[in-house]
Amino acid sequence: MRVWFLGITAVCFSITAVAFQANFKQYPGEEDNPTAVPSGAFERTEWTFARLRYPSGRYAEYAGEKGTWPTDFPKADRQFLQGVRRLTRIHARSTEQVIDLNTDEIFNWPWVYAVEVGHWDLTDAQVKMMREYFERGGFLMVDDFHGTYEWQVFVASMSRIFPDRPIVEIADADPIFHVLYDLGKRVQVPGLQYVYSGKLYEKDGIVPHWRGIYDDKGRLMVTMCFNQDDGDAWEHADNPQYPEQFTSQAYRLGINYIIYSMTH
Amino acid sequence: MFEFFFKYPPEVYSRGHYLLASPWPWWALAALIGIAAGGFLWNARRHWNLISRSRALAIWGLQTAMVALLLLLLWRPAISVATLRPQQNIVAVLLDSSRSMTIADEDGRSRFEAASQLLKDGLIDSLGRRFQVRLYRFGDDAHRVDAAHLFNPPDSGVTRIARSLQDIAVESASLPFGAVVLLSDGAENAGGIDFDTIQRLRQTRIPVQTVGFGKERLGRDIEVEDFSVPQRALAGSRVEARIALRQSGLTGETARVTIRDGENVLAAQNVNLTNEAIAVPLIFNAGAAGALNLIARVDPLPGEEHTANNAVARVVNVSARKPRILYVEGEPRWEYKFMRRAADDDPQIELVSMLRTTPNKIYRQGVRDQSELEQGFPTKAEELFAYDGLIIGSVEASWFTPAQQDLIREFAGRRGGGVLFLGGRFGLSEGGWGATDVAEMLPVRLPPAGATFQRVYSNTELAPAGVDTALCRLDDDPQKNVERWKKMPEIANWQLVGDPKPGAALLAEMIPPGHRKTPLLVTEPYGRGRTAVLATGGMWRWQMRSDHTDKTLPTFWRQMLRWLVNDTPGTAVAATPHQVLQDEDRLPLRVEVRDKSYQPLGSAMVQAHFVGPDGLSDTLRLLPVGSEAGVYSADWSAPRPGAYLAEVTASVNGAEIGRDVLTFRRNDGVAENFRTTQNRDLLEKLSLQTAGRYYTPRDARHLADEISYSEAGITSREMLDLWDLPVVLLLALGLRAAEWLLRRRWGVV
Repeated sequence: MRVWFLGITAVCFSITAVAFQANFKQYPGEEDNPTAVPSGAFERTEWTFARLRYPSGRYAEYAGEKGTWPTDFPKADRQFLQGVRRLTRIHARSTEQVIDLNTDEIFNWPWVYAVEVGHWDLTDAQVKMMREYFERGGFLMVDDFHGTYEWQVFVASMSRIFPDRPIVEIADADPIFHVLYDLGKRVQVPGLQYVYSGKLYEKDGIVPHWRGIYDDKGRLMVTMCFNQDDGDAWEHADNPQYPEQFTSQAYRLGINYIIYSMTH
Repeated sequence: MFEFFFKYPPEVYSRGHYLLASPWPWWALAALIGIAAGGFLWNARRHWNLISRSRALAIWGLQTAMVALLLLLLWRPAISVATLRPQQNIVAVLLDSSRSMTIADEDGRSRFEAASQLLKDGLIDSLGRRFQVRLYRFGDDAHRVDAAHLFNPPDSGVTRIARSLQDIAVESASLPFGAVVLLSDGAENAGGIDFDTIQRLRQTRIPVQTVGFGKERLGRDIEVEDFSVPQRALAGSRVEARIALRQSGLTGETARVTIRDGENVLAAQNVNLTNEAIAVPLIFNAGAAGALNLIARVDPLPGEEHTANNAVARVVNVSARKPRILYVEGEPRWEYKFMRRAADDDPQIELVSMLRTTPNKIYRQGVRDQSELEQGFPTKAEELFAYDGLIIGSVEASWFTPAQQDLIREFAGRRGGGVLFLGGRFGLSEGGWGATDVAEMLPVRLPPAGATFQRVYSNTELAPAGVDTALCRLDDDPQKNVERWKKMPEIANWQLVGDPKPGAALLAEMIPPGHRKTPLLVTEPYGRGRTAVLATGGMWRWQMRSDHTDKTLPTFWRQMLRWLVNDTPGTAVAATPHQVLQDEDRLPLRVEVRDKSYQPLGSAMVQAHFVGPDGLSDTLRLLPVGSEAGVYSADWSAPRPGAYLAEVTASVNGAEIGRDVLTFRRNDGVAENFRTTQNRDLLEKLSLQTAGRYYTPRDARHLADEISYSEAGITSREMLDLWDLPVVLLLALGLRAAEWLLRRRWGVV
């Protein structure tokens, strides 16, 4: 009887466990910029900042074993989330969700963010999963990669996901720049290094690009903030030395990308 | 046999008034019976010491009954009945001359031959001895013939008993008709005898005596009894059809039922013939715009006696119109995205959406120009009613003004549109909708607000009522469809919406973990339109958790959107009860005209332009129906078989305010192929409701005697004695014999 009871309890528990969206989880030791866990961290919401936990593989030399996926993590995520919660009607959690590409959890999060993709190195299985993700309706925002070399690294994996789809500049008239904020005139958002160097760019990435990959119906599936660092702008939104105009631009752009992904 | 014991036919007893013909008062009879009963009881008490009390009472009962019977006869019981005066009344003999009467199922003879034989073998003569006889042949209507032409072979392609009887009723206004004798198989093609005809006959008091011919059941036969399908559909829509089959002698066998457009099979199903009457629901795709000439057919089975009744035709007008749906969403959410994607892929649907992205900003999609919805949700009826469907997402009721809430209610009630309410953080109970007048139009009884919306994954399944609906059909195979609903990925969230209201249809349910099943999709007709509740905003997981080639979610949403607008009327709606005229030419046309705010419009000029076979072209003006505001009607005659199109326009002061298209067919030579068995039920009911009687050909030889007792025509009243009935003598003898036998048995003689 006792065994039966335990068995039934275990089954009920497992059913309950899989019947909710994935709970918030911390990654001690992998956090790039640790910050306090805000209240409401475990609230179940329509949307939250889903950060892609991808492998850096052969390109991970500078970031060590943990790779580049947690750059600015989790402070950038949580500060950006504060803005999303305050400025929009999106029901958003106060904490981010890390999406491990070795699971199929990504299919529960139709909007994901990946940083420093100039160092990512996807496996064949992950490439296949990402393509499937986009074809089902998923949306990816990539950010914080600079210069010729990092572009080549990014494209090396991206072209395996979509060998048949070109990467194009997103036109100013595209709805993604107008869905909430009109962003016809955009500025290059630099990383924190701007505070010390005064340079808007890193490496040889002098010219900013807002690029994307469209599906057959003309809807953006992937957006690339190339030669820019919106993640730093979110992360250092509370830094008095970091210029407000860049933070504002990064918040507006990020929010537009989210609302676009939820409407197109 | 009845008359042997009771002297008179049953009609006398059913129509006559009973009375006591003796001049003595009835209370004297009662008093004498009482005295006799008392005397016998006193006598019985004297002998209670000799026999048991129960035996004494039994003998007392028999003695009392005997005396009561004799006393009753002394009071001369009689019956007063009206009888037709000889040779002063007319009896109309109506002989069915439709093609179904040629079926040879009367002992090797055709029904017509059997009826003719009955008339020739004495029925006409016996009627003629008492009445003036008028002979009629009837099919589409009744026409008088002489004896020489009465027995010409059947030539009518249709049987319209009601219309034929109406003709007789009209003649009866000036002639003393005493009765109608109708010889028919009852294979009426107009769907039955209408109430007006029955009322007319009852007013004239003419009894209709029916004589039925033909088998009441065929040996081995299956018939397509009815084929119901909507008259209109949007191009590319799934359409629900229902085929009613009736079979005899084929129980246990399997029949293949198909719906075809020409040679193209649109839907097919094998049906086990378990019952006599079977309804087969089928769903098919309407395909491209145009007239769809459908045939519902059941494949002939081995040894089937009659195969001409295995197919029925219908016409569906598949429209290329592009209805517009307004979707109001209170917060960005994934369901919005995937619904929009489904609508964008549907060439027949225009989804106009307004999404509250921030507390004070609305993002519009699908608008025709920048001015559309610029001021927010419409505040005028003509603005909101320009849409065909309406979706209220996760948005609070208080976001709408009371006037706008009234418009939402009127959108379904008066405009005839479809309104869908979605579950959500601010939807249904959580949005305060339960406390508004809009709650009246919801198909569910909303529970009080408070955590009714849960972000918990939940399985789904079809409810029994959803199995045969086009709205919930995700797979062409009905059984696979049921399984598919169960196997779909869990939806992302669910909302408690309470129980469906009476009259609502619960189509799909959710099974949240640790919770009993709760409604997911409930629909209900409301006013001229329809409403639905989809108690979730989390169907999107069907898309993200299924392979990208799986189009289940877009299919569901397209069907949901089409369900909202498929039956939404325009400002002019043309309709006819018969889109296929079977062996008749009369097309009753009815047009309902409304203004832009969908109030009935009685001052319109309504015209129908007909285009038919061989270049036929005709125009008809429709006139207002006095009793119904905004309704115009007229009858048109389709001169020959073939396909027709009617284009109806409504205009006011020369400006067109509405337009509609109606397609129909006239098919000749098919009506008599159906309902080929004798419809005894119809003939019996017709007789019963007109105070007549149903006869078999064998019983009909007494008909001339029995129809003499009628209230119609020129009558006289007769008083018939009842004291000398043979059955009375037998009763008296029986009572005495019973007493004698009991006394012998008990030894008290």
